Amino acid sequence: MNCNEAVTLVAAYADGEIDGPRGDLLKKHLLGCAGCATQYQSVLALRAQLRAEIPYFPASPALRARVGAVIGAMDAALPSRPRPAIDRWRWLTGGALAGCTATILAWVLGTAVIDWRASDDLAVDAVTTHVRATLSNRLIEVASSDRHTVKPWLSARLDYSPPVQDLADEGFALTGGRLDTLKSQPVATLVYRYRQHTIDVFVRPASAHAPPPALRTVRGFNVAHASGSGMDWLAVSDVSADVLSPFVQRLARADAAP
Amino acid sequence: MSDVNRFEELVLPHLDAGHNLARWLTRNPDDAEDVVQEACLRALKYIGALHGNEARAWFLTIVRHAFYDWCRSNRPAEITHDDGSAIEMAIDDAAIDPEQAALRGAESRLLANAVAELPLAYREVLILRELEELSYKEIARIADIPIGTVMSRLARARSLLQRSPLMYVIGERKSGYER
Repeated sequence: MNCNEAVTLVAAYADGEIDGPRGDLLKKHLLGCAGCATQYQSVLALRAQLRAEIPYFPASPALRARVGAVIGAMDAALPSRPRPAIDRWRWLTGGALAGCTATILAWVLGTAVIDWRASDDLAVDAVTTHVRATLSNRLIEVASSDRHTVKPWLSARLDYSPPVQDLADEGFALTGGRLDTLKSQPVATLVYRYRQHTIDVFVRPASAHAPPPALRTVRGFNVAHASGSGMDWLAVSDVSADVLSPFVQRLARADAAP
Repeated sequence: MSDVNRFEELVLPHLDAGHNLARWLTRNPDDAEDVVQEACLRALKYIGALHGNEARAWFLTIVRHAFYDWCRSNRPAEITHDDGSAIEMAIDDAAIDPEQAALRGAESRLLANAVAELPLAYREVLILRELEELSYKEIARIADIPIGTVMSRLARARSLLQRSPLMYVIGERKSGYER
Protein backbone atom coordinates (compact mmCIF):
# COMPACT_ATOMS: atom_id res chain seq x y z
CA MET A 1 0.00 0.00 0.00
CA ASN A 2 1.35 3.44 -0.89
CA CYS A 3 0.85 6.79 0.84
CA ASN A 4 -1.80 8.02 -1.57
CA GLU A 5 -3.92 5.04 -0.73
CA ALA A 6 -3.09 5.04 2.97
CA VAL A 7 -3.76 8.70 3.57
CA THR A 8 -7.44 8.31 2.72
CA LEU A 9 -7.81 5.42 5.15
CA VAL A 10 -5.81 6.54 8.19
CA ALA A 11 -8.63 8.32 10.01
CA ALA A 12 -11.09 5.52 9.35
CA TYR A 13 -8.51 3.06 10.62
CA ALA A 14 -8.06 5.08 13.81
CA ASP A 15 -11.85 5.01 14.16
CA GLY A 16 -11.84 1.21 14.07
CA GLU A 17 -13.65 1.12 10.74
CA ILE A 18 -11.04 -0.80 8.77
CA ASP A 19 -10.15 -4.38 9.55
CA GLY A 20 -9.38 -7.59 7.70
CA PRO A 21 -6.69 -7.72 5.01
CA ARG A 22 -7.00 -4.00 4.24
CA GLY A 23 -6.37 -3.21 7.90
CA ASP A 24 -3.32 -5.47 7.92
CA LEU A 25 -1.91 -3.77 4.82
CA LEU A 26 -2.44 -0.35 6.36
CA LYS A 27 -0.91 -1.43 9.64
CA LYS A 28 2.18 -2.56 7.77
CA HIS A 29 2.35 0.73 5.91
CA LEU A 30 2.09 2.71 9.16
CA LEU A 31 5.07 0.83 10.57
CA GLY A 32 7.23 1.92 7.66
CA CYS A 33 5.92 5.42 6.91
CA ALA A 34 6.61 8.20 9.38
CA GLY A 35 4.27 10.67 7.66
CA CYS A 36 1.18 8.48 7.76
CA ALA A 37 2.06 7.23 11.25
CA THR A 38 2.16 10.81 12.54
CA GLN A 39 -1.23 11.49 11.05
CA TYR A 40 -2.60 8.34 12.64
CA GLN A 41 -1.12 9.25 16.02
CA SER A 42 -2.58 12.74 15.83
CA VAL A 43 -6.11 11.32 15.55
CA LEU A 44 -5.49 9.12 18.59
CA ALA A 45 -3.93 11.99 20.53
CA LEU A 46 -6.85 14.31 19.80
CA ARG A 47 -9.27 11.60 20.88
CA ALA A 48 -7.43 11.00 24.16
CA GLN A 49 -7.39 14.70 24.84
CA LEU A 50 -11.08 15.16 24.03
CA ARG A 51 -12.10 12.29 26.27
CA ALA A 52 -9.90 13.45 29.10
CA GLU A 53 -10.61 17.14 28.95
CA ILE A 54 -13.99 18.05 27.54
CA PRO A 55 -16.95 17.49 29.83
CA TYR A 56 -19.48 14.70 29.37
CA PHE A 57 -22.92 15.86 30.45
CA PRO A 58 -25.01 13.08 32.02
CA ALA A 59 -28.69 13.74 32.70
CA SER A 60 -29.19 15.43 36.06
CA PRO A 61 -31.38 13.78 38.71
CA ALA A 62 -33.78 16.68 38.23
CA LEU A 63 -34.11 15.89 34.52
CA ARG A 64 -34.66 12.20 35.29
CA ALA A 65 -37.41 13.13 37.73
CA ARG A 66 -38.94 15.49 35.18
CA VAL A 67 -38.91 12.83 32.47
CA GLY A 68 -40.39 10.31 34.89
CA ALA A 69 -43.21 12.68 35.78
CA VAL A 70 -43.99 13.56 32.17
CA ILE A 71 -43.94 9.94 31.08
CA GLY A 72 -46.19 9.00 33.98
CA ALA A 73 -48.66 11.70 33.02
CA MET A 74 -48.61 10.57 29.40
CA ASP A 75 -49.23 7.01 30.50
CA ALA A 76 -52.27 8.00 32.54
CA ALA A 77 -53.63 10.03 29.64
CA LEU A 78 -53.16 7.38 26.99
CA PRO A 79 -56.59 6.72 25.55
CA SER A 80 -55.71 3.19 24.52
CA ARG A 81 -55.97 1.85 28.05
CA PRO A 82 -59.56 1.15 28.96
CA ARG A 83 -60.05 1.70 32.67
CA PRO A 84 -62.52 -0.58 34.40
CA ALA A 85 -65.52 0.94 36.09
CA ILE A 86 -64.50 1.80 39.63
CA ASP A 87 -66.71 1.06 42.57
CA ARG A 88 -66.16 2.66 45.93
CA TRP A 89 -64.37 -0.32 47.51
CA ARG A 90 -62.02 -0.77 44.69
CA TRP A 91 -61.20 2.87 44.85
CA LEU A 92 -60.50 2.66 48.58
CA THR A 93 -58.31 -0.44 48.44
CA GLY A 94 -56.67 0.95 45.35
CA GLY A 95 -55.84 4.12 47.24
CA ALA A 96 -54.40 2.22 50.21
CA LEU A 97 -52.41 -0.01 47.91
CA ALA A 98 -51.06 2.97 46.00
CA GLY A 99 -50.02 4.57 49.29
CA CYS A 100 -48.12 1.44 50.36
CA THR A 101 -46.52 1.07 46.97
CA ALA A 102 -45.41 4.68 46.97
CA THR A 103 -43.80 4.30 50.40
CA ILE A 104 -41.97 1.12 49.42
CA LEU A 105 -40.96 2.62 46.11
CA ALA A 106 -39.57 5.72 47.81
CA TRP A 107 -37.54 3.55 50.18
CA VAL A 108 -36.21 1.27 47.45
CA LEU A 109 -35.41 4.24 45.26
CA GLY A 110 -33.66 6.02 48.13
CA THR A 111 -31.36 3.11 48.96
CA ALA A 112 -30.80 2.39 45.28
CA VAL A 113 -29.73 5.98 44.74
CA ILE A 114 -27.31 5.83 47.69
CA ASP A 115 -25.79 2.58 46.38
CA TRP A 116 -25.71 3.99 42.90
CA ARG A 117 -23.96 7.16 44.07
CA ALA A 118 -21.31 5.12 45.87
CA SER A 119 -20.59 2.86 42.91
CA ASP A 120 -20.85 5.79 40.54
CA ASP A 121 -18.12 7.56 42.47
CA LEU A 122 -16.01 4.42 42.21
CA ALA A 123 -16.44 4.37 38.43
CA VAL A 124 -15.61 8.07 38.19
CA ASP A 125 -12.61 7.55 40.46
CA ALA A 126 -11.41 4.66 38.30
CA VAL A 127 -11.73 6.70 35.10
CA THR A 128 -9.91 9.67 36.65
CA THR A 129 -7.09 7.37 37.77
CA HIS A 130 -6.91 5.78 34.31
CA VAL A 131 -6.79 9.16 32.56
CA ARG A 132 -4.21 10.56 34.95
CA ALA A 133 -1.95 7.55 34.44
CA THR A 134 -2.32 7.75 30.66
CA LEU A 135 -1.55 11.46 30.49
CA SER A 136 1.36 11.45 32.91
CA ASN A 137 3.16 8.57 31.19
CA ARG A 138 3.22 6.53 34.37
CA LEU A 139 0.96 3.89 32.90
CA ILE A 140 3.32 1.09 33.82
CA GLU A 141 5.63 0.73 36.80
CA VAL A 142 6.58 -2.88 36.20
CA ALA A 143 6.75 -3.58 32.49
CA SER A 144 6.47 -7.25 31.65
CA SER A 145 4.28 -9.60 29.73
CA ASP A 146 5.27 -12.33 32.17
CA ARG A 147 2.74 -12.82 34.94
CA HIS A 148 5.46 -14.40 37.08
CA THR A 149 7.18 -11.00 37.13
CA VAL A 150 4.12 -8.81 37.54
CA LYS A 151 2.42 -10.83 40.30
CA PRO A 152 5.35 -10.90 42.78
CA TRP A 153 6.01 -7.21 42.14
CA LEU A 154 2.43 -6.38 43.12
CA SER A 155 2.25 -8.85 46.01
CA ALA A 156 5.38 -7.33 47.54
CA ARG A 157 3.70 -3.95 47.70
CA LEU A 158 0.18 -4.89 48.79
CA ASP A 159 -1.41 -6.90 51.58
CA TYR A 160 -3.02 -9.21 49.02
CA SER A 161 -1.89 -11.06 45.95
CA PRO A 162 -3.95 -10.40 42.84
CA PRO A 163 -4.31 -13.20 40.26
CA VAL A 164 -2.44 -12.19 37.09
CA GLN A 165 -3.03 -13.69 33.65
CA ASP A 166 -1.71 -12.93 30.20
CA LEU A 167 -4.45 -13.37 27.60
CA ALA A 168 -2.30 -12.47 24.58
CA ASP A 169 -3.62 -15.40 22.58
CA GLU A 170 -7.12 -13.96 23.01
CA GLY A 171 -5.97 -10.52 21.88
CA PHE A 172 -5.42 -9.02 25.33
CA ALA A 173 -1.69 -8.77 25.91
CA LEU A 174 -0.50 -8.14 29.44
CA THR A 175 1.93 -5.23 29.26
CA GLY A 176 2.61 -4.61 32.94
CA GLY A 177 1.25 -3.38 36.23
CA ARG A 178 1.33 -0.49 38.66
CA LEU A 179 0.03 0.62 42.02
CA ASP A 180 -2.84 3.08 42.32
CA THR A 181 -5.20 4.29 44.97
CA LEU A 182 -8.91 3.86 44.48
CA LYS A 183 -11.28 5.28 47.09
CA SER A 184 -8.10 6.01 49.09
CA GLN A 185 -7.21 2.29 49.23
CA PRO A 186 -4.08 0.99 47.52
CA VAL A 187 -5.05 -1.15 44.57
CA ALA A 188 -3.25 -3.36 42.03
CA THR A 189 -3.61 -2.20 38.46
CA LEU A 190 -2.97 -4.60 35.58
CA VAL A 191 -2.36 -2.99 32.22
CA TYR A 192 -3.45 -4.78 29.05
CA ARG A 193 -3.26 -3.85 25.42
CA TYR A 194 -6.08 -4.68 23.04
CA ARG A 195 -5.39 -3.58 19.45
CA GLN A 196 -4.69 0.16 19.79
CA HIS A 197 -6.34 0.42 23.19
CA THR A 198 -5.02 0.40 26.71
CA ILE A 199 -7.12 -1.38 29.30
CA ASP A 200 -6.55 -0.75 33.00
CA VAL A 201 -7.85 -3.45 35.30
CA PHE A 202 -8.10 -2.55 38.98
CA VAL A 203 -8.04 -5.63 41.20
CA ARG A 204 -8.85 -5.56 44.90
CA PRO A 205 -10.21 -8.03 47.43
CA ALA A 206 -13.97 -8.47 47.17
CA SER A 207 -15.72 -6.12 49.57
CA ALA A 208 -19.04 -6.26 51.35
CA HIS A 209 -20.18 -3.07 49.63
CA ALA A 210 -22.86 -3.13 46.99
CA PRO A 211 -21.14 -4.11 43.74
CA PRO A 212 -20.95 -1.41 41.10
CA PRO A 213 -23.10 -1.85 37.99
CA ALA A 214 -21.70 -4.37 35.49
CA LEU A 215 -21.20 -1.60 32.98
CA ARG A 216 -21.12 2.18 33.01
CA THR A 217 -19.86 4.88 30.72
CA VAL A 218 -18.03 7.78 32.33
CA ARG A 219 -16.83 10.64 30.13
CA GLY A 220 -16.70 8.32 27.15
CA PHE A 221 -14.76 5.59 28.92
CA ASN A 222 -16.37 2.26 29.60
CA VAL A 223 -16.12 0.86 33.11
CA ALA A 224 -16.93 -2.85 33.40
CA HIS A 225 -17.10 -4.75 36.66
CA ALA A 226 -16.99 -8.43 37.58
CA SER A 227 -16.46 -10.45 40.76
CA GLY A 228 -14.60 -13.71 41.04
CA SER A 229 -11.59 -15.47 42.53
CA GLY A 230 -12.28 -13.58 45.75
CA MET A 231 -11.57 -10.28 44.02
CA ASP A 232 -13.41 -7.28 42.58
CA TRP A 233 -12.35 -6.55 39.01
CA LEU A 234 -12.89 -3.14 37.48
CA ALA A 235 -11.78 -2.60 33.89
CA VAL A 236 -11.52 0.90 32.41
CA SER A 237 -10.87 1.58 28.76
CA ASP A 238 -12.02 3.29 25.61
CA VAL A 239 -12.68 -0.06 23.92
CA SER A 240 -16.30 -0.80 23.25
CA ALA A 241 -18.45 -2.34 25.94
CA ASP A 242 -19.03 -5.60 24.07
CA VAL A 243 -15.28 -6.24 24.20
CA LEU A 244 -14.63 -4.96 27.71
CA SER A 245 -17.41 -6.79 29.56
CA PRO A 246 -16.52 -10.32 28.40
CA PHE A 247 -12.85 -9.56 29.02
CA VAL A 248 -13.32 -8.56 32.66
CA GLN A 249 -15.62 -11.51 33.24
CA ARG A 250 -13.03 -13.79 31.70
CA LEU A 251 -10.37 -12.42 34.08
CA ALA A 252 -12.60 -12.88 37.10
CA ARG A 253 -13.53 -16.48 36.31
CA ALA A 254 -12.21 -18.66 39.08
CA ASP A 255 -11.19 -21.64 36.92
CA ALA A 256 -8.99 -19.45 34.77
CA ALA A 257 -7.03 -18.01 37.67
CA PRO A 258 -3.62 -19.56 38.23
CA MET B 1 -45.07 -5.12 28.17
CA SER B 2 -46.64 -1.70 28.24
CA ASP B 3 -45.17 1.19 26.30
CA VAL B 4 -43.99 2.84 29.49
CA ASN B 5 -42.22 -0.32 30.62
CA ARG B 6 -40.56 -0.64 27.27
CA PHE B 7 -39.52 2.99 27.44
CA GLU B 8 -38.05 2.55 30.91
CA GLU B 9 -36.19 -0.56 29.89
CA LEU B 10 -34.90 0.48 26.47
CA VAL B 11 -34.67 4.27 26.41
CA LEU B 12 -33.96 5.42 29.98
CA PRO B 13 -30.52 3.71 30.04
CA HIS B 14 -29.52 6.09 27.24
CA LEU B 15 -30.77 9.27 28.89
CA ASP B 16 -27.18 10.31 29.71
CA ALA B 17 -26.10 9.88 26.08
CA GLY B 18 -29.16 11.78 24.89
CA HIS B 19 -28.54 14.61 27.31
CA ASN B 20 -24.85 14.81 26.46
CA LEU B 21 -25.68 15.14 22.77
CA ALA B 22 -28.40 17.73 23.43
CA ARG B 23 -26.07 19.67 25.71
CA TRP B 24 -23.33 19.85 23.09
CA LEU B 25 -25.82 20.79 20.37
CA THR B 26 -27.68 23.49 22.32
CA ARG B 27 -24.62 24.57 24.34
CA ASN B 28 -27.00 25.54 27.11
CA PRO B 29 -28.12 23.48 30.14
CA ASP B 30 -31.78 24.55 30.24
CA ASP B 31 -32.34 24.20 26.51
CA ALA B 32 -30.68 20.77 26.56
CA GLU B 33 -33.12 19.55 29.21
CA ASP B 34 -36.09 20.87 27.23
CA VAL B 35 -34.86 19.08 24.11
CA VAL B 36 -34.36 15.81 26.02
CA GLN B 37 -37.82 16.01 27.56
CA GLU B 38 -39.39 16.56 24.15
CA ALA B 39 -37.33 13.67 22.75
CA CYS B 40 -38.55 11.38 25.54
CA LEU B 41 -42.16 12.19 24.74
CA ARG B 42 -41.56 11.37 21.09
CA ALA B 43 -39.67 8.20 22.01
CA LEU B 44 -42.58 7.02 24.13
CA LYS B 45 -45.00 7.79 21.33
CA TYR B 46 -43.04 5.83 18.74
CA ILE B 47 -41.61 3.14 21.01
CA GLY B 48 -43.53 0.55 19.01
CA ALA B 49 -41.18 1.23 16.08
CA LEU B 50 -38.07 0.37 18.11
CA HIS B 51 -36.74 -3.10 17.46
CA GLY B 52 -33.85 -5.06 18.85
CA ASN B 53 -30.73 -3.67 20.43
CA GLU B 54 -30.27 -0.40 18.62
CA ALA B 55 -32.00 1.67 21.28
CA ARG B 56 -29.12 4.09 21.79
CA ALA B 57 -28.77 5.10 18.13
CA TRP B 58 -32.57 5.21 17.83
CA PHE B 59 -32.95 7.51 20.83
CA LEU B 60 -30.06 9.74 19.72
CA THR B 61 -31.75 10.12 16.34
CA ILE B 62 -34.88 11.33 18.10
CA VAL B 63 -32.88 13.71 20.32
CA ARG B 64 -31.21 15.15 17.24
CA HIS B 65 -34.55 15.67 15.48
CA ALA B 66 -36.00 17.26 18.59
CA PHE B 67 -33.00 19.57 18.72
CA TYR B 68 -33.33 20.67 15.08
CA ASP B 69 -37.04 21.34 15.51
CA TRP B 70 -36.29 23.35 18.63
CA CYS B 71 -33.48 25.16 16.84
CA ARG B 72 -35.67 26.07 13.87
CA SER B 73 -38.10 27.90 16.11
CA ASN B 74 -35.59 29.35 18.59
CA ARG B 75 -32.29 29.93 16.78
CA PRO B 76 -33.00 29.66 13.04
CA ALA B 77 -29.80 31.60 12.23
CA GLU B 78 -27.67 28.82 13.64
CA ILE B 79 -28.80 26.27 11.09
CA THR B 80 -28.57 28.45 7.97
CA HIS B 81 -25.54 30.61 8.63
CA ASP B 82 -23.28 28.23 10.42
CA ASP B 83 -20.63 27.67 7.77
CA GLY B 84 -17.54 27.50 9.90
CA SER B 85 -16.31 31.04 9.44
CA ALA B 86 -16.76 31.76 13.16
CA ILE B 87 -14.26 29.16 14.26
CA GLU B 88 -11.86 30.08 11.46
CA MET B 89 -11.92 33.63 12.78
CA ALA B 90 -11.60 32.46 16.37
CA ILE B 91 -8.58 30.38 15.44
CA ASP B 92 -6.95 33.24 13.57
CA ASP B 93 -7.51 35.57 16.49
CA ALA B 94 -6.09 33.14 18.96
CA ALA B 95 -3.12 32.34 16.76
CA ILE B 96 -1.41 35.60 17.65
CA ASP B 97 0.47 34.39 20.68
CA PRO B 98 0.46 30.84 22.04
CA GLU B 99 1.95 31.97 25.32
CA GLN B 100 -0.85 34.38 25.85
CA ALA B 101 -3.28 31.59 25.04
CA ALA B 102 -1.63 29.49 27.73
CA LEU B 103 -2.13 32.27 30.25
CA ARG B 104 -5.82 32.45 29.50
CA GLY B 105 -6.51 29.59 31.84
CA ALA B 106 -7.26 25.93 31.90
CA GLU B 107 -6.56 24.20 28.59
CA SER B 108 -9.52 21.94 29.06
CA ARG B 109 -11.82 24.92 29.06
CA LEU B 110 -10.20 26.11 25.87
CA LEU B 111 -10.59 22.74 24.19
CA ALA B 112 -14.20 22.55 25.32
CA ASN B 113 -14.70 26.04 23.90
CA ALA B 114 -13.11 25.03 20.61
CA VAL B 115 -15.50 22.06 20.38
CA ALA B 116 -18.47 24.26 21.28
CA GLU B 117 -17.41 26.72 18.55
CA LEU B 118 -17.40 24.04 15.86
CA PRO B 119 -20.19 24.47 13.29
CA LEU B 120 -23.21 22.36 14.14
CA ALA B 121 -22.72 19.84 11.32
CA TYR B 122 -19.16 19.08 12.43
CA ARG B 123 -19.86 19.24 16.16
CA GLU B 124 -22.55 16.57 16.05
CA VAL B 125 -20.49 13.98 14.18
CA LEU B 126 -17.49 14.66 16.44
CA ILE B 127 -19.50 14.18 19.64
CA LEU B 128 -21.18 11.03 18.31
CA ARG B 129 -17.82 9.52 17.29
CA GLU B 130 -15.46 10.60 20.07
CA LEU B 131 -17.74 10.70 23.10
CA GLU B 132 -20.45 8.19 22.20
CA GLU B 133 -18.10 5.93 20.22
CA LEU B 134 -20.63 5.23 17.50
CA SER B 135 -19.61 3.65 14.21
CA TYR B 136 -19.71 5.57 10.91
CA LYS B 137 -22.79 3.58 9.95
CA GLU B 138 -24.66 4.52 13.11
CA ILE B 139 -23.64 8.18 12.80
CA ALA B 140 -24.75 8.20 9.16
CA ARG B 141 -28.16 6.92 10.22
CA ILE B 142 -28.53 9.33 13.10
CA ALA B 143 -27.44 12.42 11.16
CA ASP B 144 -29.19 11.22 8.00
CA ILE B 145 -26.13 11.68 5.77
CA PRO B 146 -24.04 9.25 3.65
CA ILE B 147 -21.04 7.56 5.28
CA GLY B 148 -18.71 9.55 2.99
CA THR B 149 -20.11 12.76 4.46
CA VAL B 150 -19.61 11.42 7.99
CA MET B 151 -15.94 10.89 7.12
CA SER B 152 -15.40 14.28 5.52
CA ARG B 153 -17.14 16.12 8.36
CA LEU B 154 -15.12 14.23 10.96
CA ALA B 155 -11.91 15.06 9.12
CA ARG B 156 -12.92 18.71 8.96
CA ALA B 157 -13.84 18.82 12.65
CA ARG B 158 -10.53 17.26 13.61
CA SER B 159 -8.45 19.54 11.46
CA LEU B 160 -10.23 22.60 12.87
CA LEU B 161 -9.49 21.44 16.41
CA GLN B 162 -5.91 20.47 15.60
CA ARG B 163 -5.20 23.78 13.94
CA SER B 164 -6.31 25.53 17.05
CA PRO B 165 -3.23 27.00 18.81
CA LEU B 166 -4.47 25.47 21.99
CA MET B 167 -3.40 22.03 20.78
CA TYR B 168 0.03 23.47 20.15
CA VAL B 169 0.19 24.93 23.65
CA ILE B 170 -0.76 21.63 25.22
CA GLY B 171 1.81 19.80 23.09
CA GLU B 172 4.48 22.17 24.37
CA ARG B 173 3.51 21.63 27.96
CA LYS B 174 3.52 17.88 27.64
CA SER B 175 7.02 17.80 26.24
CA GLY B 176 7.96 20.15 29.08
CA TYR B 177 6.94 17.53 31.62
CA GLU B 178 9.13 14.91 30.04
CA ARG B 179 12.25 17.00 30.19
